[in-house]
Amino acid sequence: MNALATEEEIFTATVGMGQIVTARKPGQLSAVLGSCVGIALYHPRLEVGGLAHVVLPHSNGRLDNPGKFADTAVPALLQELQKHGIPQAGLVAKIAGGACMFQMRGPLQIGEANIQAVRQALTQANIRLAAQHVGGTAGRRIILDCANGTLRVEIAGRTVEIL
Amino acid sequence: MNSTATRSKKLEVLHELLAAATHEASASMSRWTNGLISLSLDEVRELPLEEVAAELELHDELLTMVVLSLEGPLGGEMILTFDEQNARQLAASLLNRPVNQDPEWTELEKSALTETGNILACAYMSALSRLIGEDLIPTAPYFLQDYGASVLQQALLPQAMAGDQILLCRTGFHRHGENLNWRVLFVPNHALREGMEKAIRTAV
Repeated sequence: MNALATEEEIFTATVGMGQIVTARKPGQLSAVLGSCVGIALYHPRLEVGGLAHVVLPHSNGRLDNPGKFADTAVPALLQELQKHGIPQAGLVAKIAGGACMFQMRGPLQIGEANIQAVRQALTQANIRLAAQHVGGTAGRRIILDCANGTLRVEIAGRTVEIL
Repeated sequence: MNSTATRSKKLEVLHELLAAATHEASASMSRWTNGLISLSLDEVRELPLEEVAAELELHDELLTMVVLSLEGPLGGEMILTFDEQNARQLAASLLNRPVNQDPEWTELEKSALTETGNILACAYMSALSRLIGEDLIPTAPYFLQDYGASVLQQALLPQAMAGDQILLCRTGFHRHGENLNWRVLFVPNHALREGMEKAIRTAV
């Protein structure tokens, strides 16, 4: 997990699979998602955000890599923000990802399972889900702008949506 | 022998197994491209899940890919990736036509690329089947353009569910000795990975 950047730094940090990164204005956090789900938490008044890159829905008790699983990533992201003095009250969530990348649709529909698990984890943490761009069959590139809390979603270079 | 040394020896033997499959795939690819393209297995290693995309330099670049899955309990994914220029050049070469400048891919171009993936995967899986004594049946290939990292994520999931260490086989493509910006990503699921390890266990 990365420490918060100072306000003087302008950077875009890439958040890899299973990682959790936080940043403050004017920093940006980006991730490329397929079946994974990106959870962006943002505090509008304090202009600080965090991004978790969730790979799988359930940790089944594993605690070694909390950013990897939906059920452990949300508490870990909250904890990381709290370390930097960001309270849970006032945080809003936006999520993206959870695609099914392969045509061969087998029993392992992990993208959909990830979406459901992330929604459940946010509900359990009592965090409002303000926007989402999930499902489908194409990859996404997301950028959380900590200057204003927008989540830019680029769908495989074809379209762009701002959440 | 300690666990690190055992692991290292297993990877070494696994390298030999996959090198033999790569050799057969290379021979098939050479025949398909009239001697133009060959393959080599450059590396077999394990690395943490979060480092795989960076290690493969798969970020937010849009890639052209041919994807095949393995059916059955011994499953996995094989993904052939190219940048746009290399993919166009290969299709033009196979079709004996000038490189198409139209942004849209024609069905014929897609077919040339998917057939390349098919030939590569069938040769590779056929050799691997023989070496491990189990049937590996690839599905029909399909053409895909997307972020390389997005596709890799889903291919890695079966291994990610079993642990944090990912088995990575790095294969190089060459045209008359010159390295090409193509990749083949072979990601066996946990059962196939165990099957391969079982096959080599006697050698360790």
